[in-house]
Amino acid sequence: MAEARKSMIKIKPKKFKVGDTVKVDFIVIHPMDTGLKKDKKTGEIKPAHFIDNITFSLDGKPFTTMKVWETVSTNPYFSVNLKVPGKGKITVDYTDNTGEKNSKSKKLKPKG
Amino acid sequence: MKKVLLSLAFLSTMAMLQLNAGEQFAMSDADRAMYKEMLENNPAEIYVEEGGEILEEALGGEEALAKFLEVSEKDLPKYIAGFPRYIKKLGNVVGIDQVLQAMQVSQGKEKTKLKSGKMFSMLAYVKSLANDELINIDVEADEHIKASYALGKTTYMTARGGRGLSCNSCHSADIVGQVLRTQPLPDLGEVAVAGTWPAYRMTKSSLRTPQRRFQGCMKNALLKVIPIGSKEMIALEVYIATLAKAKNKKIAIPGLKR
Amino acid sequence: MKRRNFIKGLCATSAIAVTAPSTLLAKDAPKGGNILTYDAAVAAITGGKAVTDSDKVKLTVPEIAENGAVVPVKVNVESAMTEAEHVKAIHVLSTKNGNARCADVMLTPLNGKGYFATRVKLGGTQDVVALVEMSDGAFLRAAKPVKVTIGGCG
Repeated sequence: MAEARKSMIKIKPKKFKVGDTVKVDFIVIHPMDTGLKKDKKTGEIKPAHFIDNITFSLDGKPFTTMKVWETVSTNPYFSVNLKVPGKGKITVDYTDNTGEKNSKSKKLKPKG
Repeated sequence: MKKVLLSLAFLSTMAMLQLNAGEQFAMSDADRAMYKEMLENNPAEIYVEEGGEILEEALGGEEALAKFLEVSEKDLPKYIAGFPRYIKKLGNVVGIDQVLQAMQVSQGKEKTKLKSGKMFSMLAYVKSLANDELINIDVEADEHIKASYALGKTTYMTARGGRGLSCNSCHSADIVGQVLRTQPLPDLGEVAVAGTWPAYRMTKSSLRTPQRRFQGCMKNALLKVIPIGSKEMIALEVYIATLAKAKNKKIAIPGLKR
Repeated sequence: MKRRNFIKGLCATSAIAVTAPSTLLAKDAPKGGNILTYDAAVAAITGGKAVTDSDKVKLTVPEIAENGAVVPVKVNVESAMTEAEHVKAIHVLSTKNGNARCADVMLTPLNGKGYFATRVKLGGTQDVVALVEMSDGAFLRAAKPVKVTIGGCG
C-alpha cells in the first residue's frame, strides 16, 4: 500500500575523476516521528516512525552503514564522502522502525 | 482613535526592544554560513522534482506550458520570473498555479486544488525554471496589472484586525531589523520573499508557498486571513514582488526558511 | 504593564509559554527501554573505555539554532582513512535529549575522509557531541553547545 518513499542522492562536485573524493548526500522525505507528539487534528499521539538503518553500497558492496534514531530531523539528510574507485552505481538501502524497506540508486560517472 | 494609540505604543515598545535583542539574536557569520549550506540539501528539492514529474505526466511539461502561455520555451524562464501576470485569455491577473489550473481545464482535465500538495509541488517546479532570472514583474504593462498593484499596496498598508496592524506595521523600512519573538523583522524586498518562496520551512517540515506564509503571518497578527488565489492575495504577491525587484533580486527556488 | 500585555498580544500565541520541542529532554522522558541518556549511551558505545577530547575531531554546529527541530551537524575527523588507520565510527549524541543518541555512522577506508553530516532535533539548549571510534580502538570526542531558540511568527 505504501508508495515508494521520495528521496534523492546528490553527488558533489558534479564533475570528478577516478581517485577524487566526492560528497554523497542522501535526502529523504520521512516524518521521523518520535512518538512523543500529538497529531494536531486528532489529538492522538503519533506513533514513533523513523528511519533506523541505512546502508550505502557501491555496486552491491557496502561502504558505509548507519544506525539512526528518532532524534534525527524530519525529512533528514545524511552526508558522507566516497573516494571514487571507478564507474559504478551507488545504492542507498534504508529501513524504518515499522519494517518498511526502501532503496535509491544513482550512477557514479567519473570523467577520466 | 484607539487603533492609532495602540500603533504608537507598539512603535515605542519596538524601539525599546531593539537595544538588546538585536545583538542577542543576530546570527553570527559562522551560523549564517552553516544555514546557507543547508540550501545544498534542501528537502524541498524532492518536492520540486516531484512537481516536474507531475507537470510532465499530467499536463505535458514545460513544452505545453510555454505553448499555453504563448511564449517560446527559451523565453519561458524569464516570463515565469515576471509573475503574477495579466493573462489575456484568462481575463485576470493570475499566479502560476492558476495558469496550471487553466491548462487543466483547457485539456479537459480535473482542476488540482490550489491548496494541495500536488499544486504546491508543481508551482515550485515551474517557478524553479526561472532560477537565476531577475524578478521582472512589470506593473505598468497593462491596466489590469496596474490595478492589481494598487490593490496590493492598499492591502499591504491597510491596518485591520484586533490589533490594528497592517503588513507595513512590522515590515516598513523603519521597523525592519527590530526584534519580535526573538526574530529580527525582515525587509520583504531584501530577503526576496518573491524570489525565495515556495520554500522549505523548518518549523513546518514541509514545502510552503508564499500565499500560505502570508496567511500564517496574518493569523499571528490577528488579521482575518485572505483566501488563497483571491484577487487580494494575488495583488499582495504583485506588490511584494515589486519590493524584491527594487532590490534586483533573483528567483532561487526552493528557499529554506525557519 | 500595558506594554508587556501588548507585546504578548502581538502574535496570536505567546512565544514564551510554548515549549513544544520535537523531542523531550532527559528530565521529562519516560524511563527504561532502549532509550539511553547521555552517560549511559556513552558507556554503551565505549564499553567503559577512556575517551579523549581531541582537536582531530572537528565538530561544526550553529551557536544559535534558529529552530530546534532542524539543527545542522557536521563532523570532520583528521584521518588518512587507510586500512591501517581510519575512522571506524562517528557517533552523534546530544547531552540532554531523552534519547541521547542521534546516529552511529560506520565508515570504511572507501569513504576517503572521516566525514559525516546530518540534521538533528534538540529538545532545548545543550551540547552536541561527536564520539569517534578509531580503527586502533581509541575513542576521541568533541562537544559544542547549541543555544536553541523558540520563537518567531508564523
